[in-house]
Amino acid sequence: MIRFRSVHKAFDVPVLQGVSFEVEEGEMFAIFGPSGTGKSVLLKTTIGLIALDHGNVAVDGDWVYGSGKAALAGVRRKVGYVFQNSALFDSLNVWENVEMGIAEEVLARLPGRERTRKIWEALELVNLEPRDILRKIPAELSGGMRKRVGIARAIVGRPKILLWDEPTTGLDPVNTAAVERLIARLSSELNVTSIVVTHDIEGGLLMCDRVAMLEGGRLRFIGAPDAFRSSEDPVVRAFADRAAAEAALDQMEIT
Amino acid sequence: MSATSTTSQSGIPLIGRPLAAIGRTSALVAEHAGQLGLLLARSVRALVGLQVSFRSILNQIYIMGAQSLPIVLVTAVLAGIVTSQQGGYQFQGSVPLYILGSVVTSSVVLELGPVLTAIVLVGRVGARITAELGTMKVSEQIDAFEALGRDPVAILAAPRILAGIIVLPVLVAVANLVGVTAGMVAARLTLGLGYESFLYGARLFWHNWDMFYSMTKAVTFGLAIPLISIHMGLRTSGGASGVGRTTTASVMFMTLTILILDAFFPPLLLQ
Ligand SMILES: Nc1ncnc2c1ncn2[C@@H]1O[C@H](COP(=O)(O)OP(=O)(O)O)[C@@H](O)[C@H]1O
Ligand SMILES: [Mg+2]
Repeated sequence: MIRFRSVHKAFDVPVLQGVSFEVEEGEMFAIFGPSGTGKSVLLKTTIGLIALDHGNVAVDGDWVYGSGKAALAGVRRKVGYVFQNSALFDSLNVWENVEMGIAEEVLARLPGRERTRKIWEALELVNLEPRDILRKIPAELSGGMRKRVGIARAIVGRPKILLWDEPTTGLDPVNTAAVERLIARLSSELNVTSIVVTHDIEGGLLMCDRVAMLEGGRLRFIGAPDAFRSSEDPVVRAFADRAAAEAALDQMEIT
Repeated sequence: MSATSTTSQSGIPLIGRPLAAIGRTSALVAEHAGQLGLLLARSVRALVGLQVSFRSILNQIYIMGAQSLPIVLVTAVLAGIVTSQQGGYQFQGSVPLYILGSVVTSSVVLELGPVLTAIVLVGRVGARITAELGTMKVSEQIDAFEALGRDPVAILAAPRILAGIIVLPVLVAVANLVGVTAGMVAARLTLGLGYESFLYGARLFWHNWDMFYSMTKAVTFGLAIPLISIHMGLRTSGGASGVGRTTTASVMFMTLTILILDAFFPPLLLQ
């Protein structure tokens, strides 16, 4: 279970101003919200990547902030993080990038053949043909492939929790659908808890057990997909309608 | 903060604003100093704890050292020639010309060798480090290291800092040798001062301490360049334009630091 308790963070201006909610074990949870509202910042607090001004986050009962290095390392081992822009290491090839997803102490004890099998499996899980791309560096891959290598790196260590930061933004409709199927499949096959930050409202509503909308530094909505669809909050309505219109426009531009 | 707003409301912004600016600047200087100290401490801990890959240290030594050698050599040759010409022009007819040997040697070894090499490395190495790490920061690669349980300081910072400390003294030693030689050749070609006389002059006022002084500067600059450039790179935010902005600021920061540190050397070590 992941528990956000009164999370506050300001950079030059306040970004998160008291965000509290819980994500249950095994749940698929979507977070929507306009750009720049702090969705990525909120996701990063789950593994302590951003120093908080106030509040805390607990993963399986362990506080992320203020519990020391060992506790934080334990939390990070449980979590696979899919970054918004893939965040592959430029100077490493695909193989080495995915290998980085295995914890150092596990890697040290792992026989070479086991290591190969794990990396191979992770790439196949995201529908990549390992033989074709293992030796390529990120610059030689398309955006969609980079995204999938980033996903392979996040799942190779078999995390209990997966955090997805806009996994489908910038992908064409075919790849979007493929990545969404992948998220749903991984979540059920690997039996993980997932939090998905996405602009694809329809996709998020279809995939997830519950959704939330972040706006003005706070949660404007949290609840079941049906409740979001029928919400009468004008802010939620305006956002959902605009997002739907933009998605339709995107489709037209790409096709 | 609230004090400045009340003073400006009560009509004395002329006093309040500069004071606030001084306060902000001091806070910023303290913030940088604290972060630099922390980065250095974490890098030392990673090195002492043997968490740093030997291969990446060698790789950084190659990038900083071998690849900078040509531009360092060119700079040293020009510095030697210019000093020799300048000295020759000033001494003509007043003091024995062999003094030129001493002037060129001490200018190059005490000042020009270390400082010009460091300034060249600011552009050649420091700017590159800030841009590289800044790009990694804005593309979330630094976050990715942390998320995957790896220490970006051990992986990125420590090898660069150690390489800087090793490489700069070597480059400065080469620059000193080449600079003095170039000055000696220039003195012969343009002023007719023989090598023997030049070397006689050079030895006359030479202290072994001068070489130690030169190397101490080299080590200090060799620490300052990677430390500041890494620190600035890791502070980058705001996408591609942020990387550009931070790289410029980093080059200014390094250049000023080298010149300021250089000004502290004579009173501390040349007594
Ligand atoms: N490291 C940082 N330094 C300064 N400002 C930041 C940093 N990270 C995020 N921000 C700011 O916080 C706000 C929220 O960012 P983010 O979480 O990336 O938004 P989004 O909801 O689009 O993911 C933005 O205004 C962004 O500029
Ligand atoms: Mg984001």
